[in-house]
Amino acid sequence: MVCPYGWDTPGGVQTHIRDLAEHLISEGHYVSVLTPVSDDSLELEDYVVNAGKPIPIPVNGSVARVLFGPIASSRAKQWIASGDFDLLHLHEPAIPSLSLLACSAAEGPLVGTFHVSTPKKKAIYAIGPILEPIVEKLTARIAVSELARSTLKDHFETDAVVIPNGIDGQKYANAIISKDYTGENTIGFIGRFEEPRKGLQVLLDSLPIVARFIPDVLYLIAGPGESKDYLKQINPELRGRVKFLGLLSDKEKESFLKSIQIYVAPNTGGESFGIILTEALSAGTAVVASDIPAFKAVLENGEAGALFQNEDSTDLAKVLVELLRDKDRREKLASNGKLSAQKYDWQVVAEQIESVYEMAIAGGQRVTLSSENRFWSRR
Amino acid sequence: MSIESLFVVLIIILIAWYLTFSASRLDRLHHRVETSWATLDSLLHQRAALAHEIVAESNLDPATAYLISTSASAARFAKLDERSAAESVLSESLKLVQSAARDEVLQLPTELLVELSDLTAKVRLAINIHLEAVNATRNVRKKPLIRIFRLAGKAPLPVRYAFEDDVLEAAN
Repeated sequence: MVCPYGWDTPGGVQTHIRDLAEHLISEGHYVSVLTPVSDDSLELEDYVVNAGKPIPIPVNGSVARVLFGPIASSRAKQWIASGDFDLLHLHEPAIPSLSLLACSAAEGPLVGTFHVSTPKKKAIYAIGPILEPIVEKLTARIAVSELARSTLKDHFETDAVVIPNGIDGQKYANAIISKDYTGENTIGFIGRFEEPRKGLQVLLDSLPIVARFIPDVLYLIAGPGESKDYLKQINPELRGRVKFLGLLSDKEKESFLKSIQIYVAPNTGGESFGIILTEALSAGTAVVASDIPAFKAVLENGEAGALFQNEDSTDLAKVLVELLRDKDRREKLASNGKLSAQKYDWQVVAEQIESVYEMAIAGGQRVTLSSENRFWSRR
Repeated sequence: MSIESLFVVLIIILIAWYLTFSASRLDRLHHRVETSWATLDSLLHQRAALAHEIVAESNLDPATAYLISTSASAARFAKLDERSAAESVLSESLKLVQSAARDEVLQLPTELLVELSDLTAKVRLAINIHLEAVNATRNVRKKPLIRIFRLAGKAPLPVRYAFEDDVLEAAN
């Protein structure tokens, strides 16, 4: 498997790869993951191979740490040649990154997973024709959502199989309820909140209205970032109603999602799937999210969680107050959500991915370097 | 050497590079079409065999049983030009079996039913992968330089079958 982004920076793609790799290993497969790593001193899992330091590049409203260049390319080639793999699974092979390098260097059963969904950009017209022959090499394509699939259709005129991101539902369902995150009316948010597209501002703007109706409401904001500026702009009387928790560990995150009353995802766009929603759902917590297409799909148009108008903090406040007041409705929503989250469980998802693998390796080839297959080096 | 002749040489080199590059790309695509078809073909044979097994193991009425077993045999032994139609009929009759089993009109060992739904999902996936290869190949073969230089050689132009579209449409 090839991971395009820095292994040690938190992100959806990295988590997806880690979980998939661990799931496959537990089923007795041999897995190796090639990925950039920013911090050399970090102790890595056995199956991870370091490809070098990534370079931060701003895309899609956040900063992606990717790696490319001749050194990375030769490392990828070395890894492919020495690995003698049955199959190569490339994540996000359509952006200039390690995955793209590996894709252009390799030949044989290749599977690609596309995570992003972006509206058609001008730049893609320029690089599209160059990328096309490379993306074309993939035996099978997986898109993590219908949106990612239509992005792919727009950009490369190819179709893909939709397999959602997996989560370990049990972990969230069985998490311990922690006193730190409970209270009468706790509302939770997780994310790199300094990025505007994560929508923390929308959530904070709803506080004055919510607090007027529910005085003991408590907003818990988790995630890495500088909170001072946000606290400053909140009315001093309400400052006690907001708590910044900083970055949570995986265990803390599980119990956070389980303990809070409502999870809010106010993201304003740029999301392709919204794994955090499914995690909160499988913890049995009611979810409120902006009505961007990705979230609408996960919440099944409001069946599995409540939606509010994107970027409209008044509407958000209205939905929150209604849900906090009506315990029955909240519980109904949460149990609906938990049920619908089952289809994102790793057991189900990994099985689908494995059947794609099966199709891809059916030809009986192994992964080789394409440079080995040039006619003058064929034996 | 004058600048013009240098320019001409450069263009010739570029064209030559493009042609070798396209030739290997096309070769790879043809290979993909063939392997993905082989996978799909074997799955379709498995499906026909499973249909026979379902007929043998269930309490189907004689008319439906006859329909399914003839369509399965037809799909199995169909000639190339009749294959698509035969597979379509088999898809339809297996859909009947699935809905009948869901309404509990039909008694069928659960293993067989699970196997049927697994196999249908796999067939759909294989069709998806195969069509992808077919489309990509056709797109590349349409390019003018590739047609002029006959880079595709004598390889037959890959085709889409109607039954494949039927299966995908039913899935959506």
